[in-house]
Amino acid sequence: MAVHDDSNGQKKKSSDALDEIPTFNVENMQNNTRIINYSRTFMSIIGGVIAGILGYTALTGFIFYFVIMAITTVGLAAKTGFAVHSFFDSWNQIVFDGILGGLLSFVLFWTFAYDMVHIF
Amino acid sequence: MGLGYAVGVVGFLILAHAAYSTIQYRSLLKITEEEFTGPPITVVVELIAGLFFCLWAALTVPGKFLSILPQSDENRVVALPSNLDFMIFNHRGKVFPMGIDMKQM
Repeated sequence: MAVHDDSNGQKKKSSDALDEIPTFNVENMQNNTRIINYSRTFMSIIGGVIAGILGYTALTGFIFYFVIMAITTVGLAAKTGFAVHSFFDSWNQIVFDGILGGLLSFVLFWTFAYDMVHIF
Repeated sequence: MGLGYAVGVVGFLILAHAAYSTIQYRSLLKITEEEFTGPPITVVVELIAGLFFCLWAALTVPGKFLSILPQSDENRVVALPSNLDFMIFNHRGKVFPMGIDMKQM
């Protein structure tokens, strides 16, 4: 009975005019999330290579990874022009998304680069 | 976007050159039998430069952020879909009391 969706090309989340649930353009939100994941994965790989070249071992390397992720977060926030709310749902997405997934890529390339430079 | 790719490739080449320099530095240390405490300062500068190039490429190559707010300029609905049977409109008529007797349907 109560209709919810606009059936236009950009599927919006439902909004009830009496309730003020904010609507978002879901397609663009997915696009933005995808961009964050690509950027973080690439920076994890680059961070791994740098950590291997510098010869970091154990804890220092993991701390270096979080430093790289912090730099990437600042870079992503700058890419939005610091107006985060017009591109994302909340700050959590831009700060925390993709960090644990990137950790595995980081360790892979870190051990790879370390082997290439210091052992082989 | 081609520029972003080029910057990324340049950053990667800088990192590869830094890796090669570090390998040569280590073989030099093996000859003089010293410990490896850290790469030489030129390599560290090279790594920082490579990091910045790759950071710039990582931020520009995947594409621009698109606004998710419905009231921003590029999100305006300017066309209606062509299958007229399934269009639904969210209008203020729903606050009117229903005049149709549902049992007859």
